[in-house]
Amino acid sequence: MVPPVKDRDQGIGMTEYRYIGKRTPRVDARDKVTGKTVYSTDLYPDGMLRARVLRAAIPHGKILRLDVSRARKLPGVEAVLTHQDIPGHNGFGIVTPNWPVLCVDRVRYRGDALALVAAVDEETAEEALKLIEVEYEPLPIIDTPEEALAEGAVQIHRDGNIQHRMDIPPKGDVEKALAESEIVLSQTYRTQFMEHAYLETEGGVAIYDEKTGVITVWCGDQYPFRDQLQVARSLDWDPLKIRIIGSPTGGAFGGKDEISVQIHLALLAYRTRKPVRLHWSREESIVAGPKRHAMNSTFRIGAGKDGRLRGIDVQVVANTGAYDTIAGPVLNLALESSPGPYKYPHSRFRGLSVYTNSAMGGEFRGFGAPQVVFGLEQELDKLAGKLKLDPIELRLLNAVEQGDISALGHRLQTSAGIKDTLEAARKTDLWRRREEIKRDLAAAHPRLRFGVGVASEWHAVGLGVGLPDFANVTIGIGEDGGITLRTGAIEIGQGNLTAYAQILAEALECGIERITVIHGDTFACPDSGSVTASRSVLINGNAILNGVKKLQPLLVRVAARALDLPEENLAYGQGRVFSQIDNGRSLSLDELAARAAEFALPLQVTGAAVFATSDKDFGDGLPHNYYTYITQLALVGVDPETGEVEVRKVISIPEMGRAINLAGVEGQCEGGVVMGIGYTLYEKVAVEKGEFLTKGFSTYILPTTLDSPEQETVIVEKPEKSGPYGGKGVGEAPTVPVTPAVANAIHDAVGLRFTRLPITPEDIVAGLEGGER
Amino acid sequence: MNEIAIRFILNGKEVSVKAPPTFTLLRLLRERLGLTGAKAGCERGECGACTVILDGEPVTACLVLAPQVEGRRVETIEGIGNGEELHPLQQAFIDESAAQCGYCIPGMIMAAKALLDRDPGPSREEIKTGLSGNLCRCTGYTKIIKAVEVVAGKSRKGSESC
Repeated sequence: MVPPVKDRDQGIGMTEYRYIGKRTPRVDARDKVTGKTVYSTDLYPDGMLRARVLRAAIPHGKILRLDVSRARKLPGVEAVLTHQDIPGHNGFGIVTPNWPVLCVDRVRYRGDALALVAAVDEETAEEALKLIEVEYEPLPIIDTPEEALAEGAVQIHRDGNIQHRMDIPPKGDVEKALAESEIVLSQTYRTQFMEHAYLETEGGVAIYDEKTGVITVWCGDQYPFRDQLQVARSLDWDPLKIRIIGSPTGGAFGGKDEISVQIHLALLAYRTRKPVRLHWSREESIVAGPKRHAMNSTFRIGAGKDGRLRGIDVQVVANTGAYDTIAGPVLNLALESSPGPYKYPHSRFRGLSVYTNSAMGGEFRGFGAPQVVFGLEQELDKLAGKLKLDPIELRLLNAVEQGDISALGHRLQTSAGIKDTLEAARKTDLWRRREEIKRDLAAAHPRLRFGVGVASEWHAVGLGVGLPDFANVTIGIGEDGGITLRTGAIEIGQGNLTAYAQILAEALECGIERITVIHGDTFACPDSGSVTASRSVLINGNAILNGVKKLQPLLVRVAARALDLPEENLAYGQGRVFSQIDNGRSLSLDELAARAAEFALPLQVTGAAVFATSDKDFGDGLPHNYYTYITQLALVGVDPETGEVEVRKVISIPEMGRAINLAGVEGQCEGGVVMGIGYTLYEKVAVEKGEFLTKGFSTYILPTTLDSPEQETVIVEKPEKSGPYGGKGVGEAPTVPVTPAVANAIHDAVGLRFTRLPITPEDIVAGLEGGER
Repeated sequence: MNEIAIRFILNGKEVSVKAPPTFTLLRLLRERLGLTGAKAGCERGECGACTVILDGEPVTACLVLAPQVEGRRVETIEGIGNGEELHPLQQAFIDESAAQCGYCIPGMIMAAKALLDRDPGPSREEIKTGLSGNLCRCTGYTKIIKAVEVVAGKSRKGSESC
């Protein structure tokens, strides 16, 4: 019997899958619900020391004197380190390593680190910090890009206050297009710094093994191999003797892609020869760690009376804080995201990222998109209003399709389902019956006013053209038939390990329970790139499929020897190797594994994959070749007396190629939506004159269960032939358009437009008293 | 610092452990008893990640001083199943895919257990209120609320049939 050849074109056909597109339970669920999962901050090795970091006492100033002698003498203190104790490069940063490990002669924000203490217990470490003497010469404090760019402003870095400038080559003649447009809209939108607020703050443990010279750092992160290089660079150490164990992570959302405690821990462990533990307080996490950049985005959009978009001119200014980390790419993606998934014959995108002494801007789920999509999607709603067009019709009229030229000028080579998501949105009960739904709600709650809003987004997947965008995995079958998948990727909560196991089980047509995923350890796994940019399922998935293509011939070779048949007469299928000429003869995976061991043939392969890139290259990673497309609908109730907004329902309609795990996609949508609601209505890292006014969850307000709306996820499938089983990625997109969808719903409810986030009850009451803001 | 002995019932078993009197219950559990299911998310009682049950009431272990539990009953995530057998809430959290990064989940399950111990069949609104002190940044709460509803619903049906 010849086994049926399964659809191998990675999901284009209508094959019925065993795991792909199912609600496969998470491989890590049992440990997580029993409290058995060990996070890096759950480690308390015997004989360990506790570390603390001395942070800048002022937001901007010269360090005139730093004296740690009294702290070093405190009984119980085993090390106090300053910049003089850094053997290698005193700086870190994903792109440009100019963020000091320990400041030398200047502090540039309140989170700057000046000294490290390791002591026998927390109390002694804390006491030692108080004994460190620092004398500063204060410098003027710059909160905003406007202040930083003003004439005569103090220069935060030697090269000035502009961190990065990006002008995407213009397409056509946007000034002419705007001049000739029948309708021109123009507006500036302002957004705030946002905190990741992962429940596990940055932390971990490091141990130096004198015998092997290996420094091991356990620290929940997003890219252990980059951490390895950054730690090695600062310690002047062989990277191969730095072991980073970065998985699992108690939430990351982009905020753990950069270094936090890793270098500090490694320095202290090496110096003291003892295990060292460092776990940031919540306040330290808010003050020192990177945030979503505050940005101002100015849109000028021209359209014809027919509703067709003619041109778009966008200028973005980002408040990037004191150092670079990954600010350039964040600004770039803000520009790429700013036109949305729509066609414009003429365009221009210009951006500036500016140093300040405010919060540190960094990587955060959405990566520059939430800031601009908040503006664009309200402008489109305004345009629909002026044209008396249904907002979904307007978007459909301008939406891109696969093969189109984008607003930026590159060809959309991969699946592009924005129209499908808009069509699906139009068919929802919430949209079709929205007037009736609002009327019924108003009848039941006469004090409130109700509104429904829509918004869409395209969200880039992968790092972009010109950047190293790869993954490697290894797949091995042990003597007992157990399959081990090793990936450098980190489980940050999104469920990627489960998706990988599903992909591998599907490709090998075997039971998923056979598979163990080993992850996020630089000594046990290959480099799979960062878990960021919604990229990890697509690229690790492809690496797995490429590995399986190499594993199957190995299994055939084992069967050939075991059955004494020529390899060309054997084929792999349904988790077995079959003879194609000899009915009934086959070997199961267990049998193959046992025979391979007997023949001393290792069943071990590597799989690698690299992202396909765009046909254009604007530099610095722009543009991208894959996008998640998404439309979201929001129903809100507004209390005109108190200004309170209740988001009652959100429907997310993502197109991510194919959903690998249905519950996983829903989880990303539901979590992204509530995070987006927080951004829209509550959350703001308030910084004035460089001082943080929000240092904990009593002042930085996160959504709770009481703010969690009814949610629905409608998955639109448009399998992408270059993705694993047609999948792309979905981690970031659901966080983004929910913000303008809520803003548009508020406008629908009370007729007010808001151009600044968060939209507070005070803003709404003031708006209702004073008219449109 | 001087340490004192603290005796209490932990997950049904009597324990005696030494700790500085300034230790919180959270540090006592994590650093002296090796139970790291309760998490330190803020150590100010603002996030709920360290929720345990003290004499039947959910408390944030970061705000309870260790000596305060002397002679009292403390339940943690490690003690609510029965060996290999999961508590119905744990099973429901798995079935509903309610855990993502998982860091808030032990506290969330303990808050839910305290709620169901008091009232086995709460309404959706009561569940939301009962869990409103526990922050989760990954899930948007939808599947967490659903998981608790599933267990509450089974109990509601059970009581209706009696």
